[in-house]
Amino acid sequence: MFSKFRLNVIFLIFAIFLSLIFRELFILQIIDNDENTQDIVNQNFETFYIPAPRGEILDLNGNKLAESILEPYLFLNQKKINAENITIYKQFISFNFNDLTNTEIDNFFSSNELFVEIANLNDYETDLRIKIQEYEAFEIFNQPKRAYIYKELFSHVIGYIGKPNQDELIEYSNAFGNKTVGKNGLERYYENILSGKPSEITLQNGEIVEITPAVPGKDIQITVDVNAQEVVKESLQQGIILANKSFDTVNLIERGAVVVQKIDTGEITAMVSLPDFNPNQFVSGISEFEFKKLNRTQAFNNFAIQGLYPPGSVFKVVAYWLAVNEGIFPEDALNSGQYVNCEGSLSFGFDDGSKQVYQDWKPEGHGRVNLSEALKQSCNVYFWDIALKIWRTFGNTDSEAMLQEYSKELGFSSLSKIDLPFEKEGVIPDRELFEDWKISKPELVRPEGWLGGDLMNLIIGQGAITTTPIQVSNAYRALLTGIKSNPYLFNDDSNVNEENINISSEFINFLLDDLNLVTNPGGTAYRSFQVMGDLTYDIGGKTGTAQNAGDLNNTSWFVGVDSISNPKYLIVTVVEEGGSGSAVAAPVSRRIIQYLLEENLTPVEFGEITE
Amino acid sequence: MINRRITILGPEGTNVYVIFQYLIFCVISWFTLFNITNEIGLDIQNVLVRQITFTLLGLTVFFLFTYVSITNIFALSNVLMISSTILLIGVLFTAESLGARRRYDLGVFDFQPSEFTKIAFVIFLAAVISQKRNNLLALALIFSNVLLVYSQPDLGTTIILLSVVLGMYFISDVKVKTLFAFLITMFLSFFILLELDLVSSFQVQRITDFYSAEIQDFSQKQSRLQISLGGFLGDSLSNTENISIFVPVQTTDFIFSSFAKSYGFIGCIVLLFLWIFFGFRVYSLIITTDSEFEKFLLAGFMILLYLQILINIATVVGLIPLTGDPFPLLSLGGSSIIAVSSIFGIINRIFIENNQVI
Repeated sequence: MFSKFRLNVIFLIFAIFLSLIFRELFILQIIDNDENTQDIVNQNFETFYIPAPRGEILDLNGNKLAESILEPYLFLNQKKINAENITIYKQFISFNFNDLTNTEIDNFFSSNELFVEIANLNDYETDLRIKIQEYEAFEIFNQPKRAYIYKELFSHVIGYIGKPNQDELIEYSNAFGNKTVGKNGLERYYENILSGKPSEITLQNGEIVEITPAVPGKDIQITVDVNAQEVVKESLQQGIILANKSFDTVNLIERGAVVVQKIDTGEITAMVSLPDFNPNQFVSGISEFEFKKLNRTQAFNNFAIQGLYPPGSVFKVVAYWLAVNEGIFPEDALNSGQYVNCEGSLSFGFDDGSKQVYQDWKPEGHGRVNLSEALKQSCNVYFWDIALKIWRTFGNTDSEAMLQEYSKELGFSSLSKIDLPFEKEGVIPDRELFEDWKISKPELVRPEGWLGGDLMNLIIGQGAITTTPIQVSNAYRALLTGIKSNPYLFNDDSNVNEENINISSEFINFLLDDLNLVTNPGGTAYRSFQVMGDLTYDIGGKTGTAQNAGDLNNTSWFVGVDSISNPKYLIVTVVEEGGSGSAVAAPVSRRIIQYLLEENLTPVEFGEITE
Repeated sequence: MINRRITILGPEGTNVYVIFQYLIFCVISWFTLFNITNEIGLDIQNVLVRQITFTLLGLTVFFLFTYVSITNIFALSNVLMISSTILLIGVLFTAESLGARRRYDLGVFDFQPSEFTKIAFVIFLAAVISQKRNNLLALALIFSNVLLVYSQPDLGTTIILLSVVLGMYFISDVKVKTLFAFLITMFLSFFILLELDLVSSFQVQRITDFYSAEIQDFSQKQSRLQISLGGFLGDSLSNTENISIFVPVQTTDFIFSSFAKSYGFIGCIVLLFLWIFFGFRVYSLIITTDSEFEKFLLAGFMILLYLQILINIATVVGLIPLTGDPFPLLSLGGSSIIAVSSIFGIINRIFIENNQVI
């Protein structure tokens, strides 16, 4: 039975409790108002930050690539050091931490930090921690330490962390408390995700009054596969050794890059740039000597996104697409199937009566070639003919830059917007650019400005054009899917923007079949792929050999497709001064394709010199 | 049972007063959170937008409950209690956060099953007491829930649940002697748990600290100073200079401290009188309704809400040790808002069924 009386008793208890609260509020807000407001003005807090652990970076299969381990560090509370106890603490430190020099110890005591970091206690015996407890100015805080598990393997993808500079302190609000900030690679690009909120230690008159725990950074799982990355790096290293053995170059050949990209999504399965470095060196502070040494070899550059190279013949697919789309073929041909004669050189005249002769890389000529054969044998004459036709039909009109427009449509001369910092965009030259350069960089252009010869150079990927390996990979991906989107290493749902390009499935099949010819008998990369036997029937690619100014050796390029019937991966390989694409870059890519097809790996061996 | 037509505000006969009171509490919370975000530079998106989303979710739950007849609530009492037990067992297997396992991560917000337990508890107790089903199974269910909450560990909610049991049995005709016996058993078992080292040292320290020389914990002292700052009229309109004050969890457990600072003594009186007024309205309903179940249900809910408010303010002003209970409808938090919204929904339904319309 419900008892009204007893309910009243309960409400009465509540009422008494409530009146106590009102009394307290009245005292606080009305009576003590002034006094407490004064107290607040007088209380001065100081805050010290302990860095939050950064999020882990995991590969496609969940292997840890970077982690943050909490380690106990000894700190000295400066506010508790006075004239009486300073010698005791100095002695204690110099006695127990004998690898610290006297000046280092003196610096601890003259520091203006609230807490001074003395040492990582994991480096010392455990009984030391018990001794420390007797000294009230000592505090032990757990601080995270970044570790890059695969050392050099992911140096350019993951990047490294370092002390924040002024700009970074402004840009990243947690950088001050965390004492480090991502400097390069994913560590920088995803700084806001990876870095957490530092732990806040509040002190009043030297006593810790409050500790707000840190909020650790979030983990990211990236698209790179450790095993693929390892094979790619080995293959590129073999290719570089091979190039040094095969060519008598002025400089040591040591730079190169490989990008392995998934065709359907655009994600990056492997990305290697050589030379590389061990990012763990930055964790405990890199010496200036070591830094400068690495910097001289350009080890900090990620050539996959920052290396600017003329693409050479790998660029011919742009003209290939233009030719099919616009129906522009060499003078005698009406369609892509019709043959023209390549005699190893092309001579042509201009309106002003001058005549010029361009020599193909194959002096005896390629014979009868159509579009497919021209791509397969990398025949320059055929493509020059296309350039001439564009020049003669559209020169000095709005349409003269159609090749440049096709290039830009595929993403050349603009950032691929991959999720890595400091990407370079390269150059697709045209009349306007040459006019600008006449003023800003007169040493690079002739006084006549943009000429037909420049267009002929451009169509075979030579001259002023520069591209990065990631751009080339992404452009091939656009041609093979009809979708242009930014490549990525970490998919956080919001960072992929797709744009459709008008490419028919007929064209895609036509292009795939012609790329297939390149790795088969008669193609420029056949020698490099021969070792794979019948498998070459389903593999494709395009070689590129870009000439460099002066006595530099050629840049070696190869763009590979792992399968023609079911294309999954694009493999773009560049070896700076690696010579002919079919000699060095092609066999490097071949070894990577062997891995992707789960075949036995055979060493990188010299292909042949073409182009 | 009467078939009620549906109107914009709910079923025919809907009590506008309860909705109104509910909305006023929600809006007070928005204003308070807005002041806090301004002051300590929290991301306004993160705090205010979240709270408004929670309120909209809560409003939906409120209306859903106004369509559930009290007969159905009564019929569901066993199911609710058993689901609460299952949820509490499940939460012990989740990942630990800040030294406790209290919540399921639902993405949008963290679901705290103990908030659900509070409601299931009152409904179940009301059913058991009004039906005089004081069997062993019912008691076992009740105390297993208390123990499960305790083992999260969540001392604050444990105390609230125990007080609700005590309060609801007290207003029935159970002998006072029995209740004393119950109280003594509780005290004894707490000390036995203490002996067996089953109480975390953290909790003991909190209690012993409080009754030792240092009366209040650091954050409570700071919170008292912050309340003082409000004065009579509060400082929500004036620009306070940059002050250094250290009140933790200002948006949740210590929100009353910020409220008192922003709206002053007068604001506190208004807020508390709104709750007192609400209590009087519900009290008159308890007296007029004929159903024993409804009487116990309403009384149980009022005990639950008032206890939470009193304990929350008492901790914030430093009268009792820190417990970590939210202020109903004022604190930021999805679970708490949705739980209190369901309580308001059920109360509204009882008003409707008794044709108490304003």
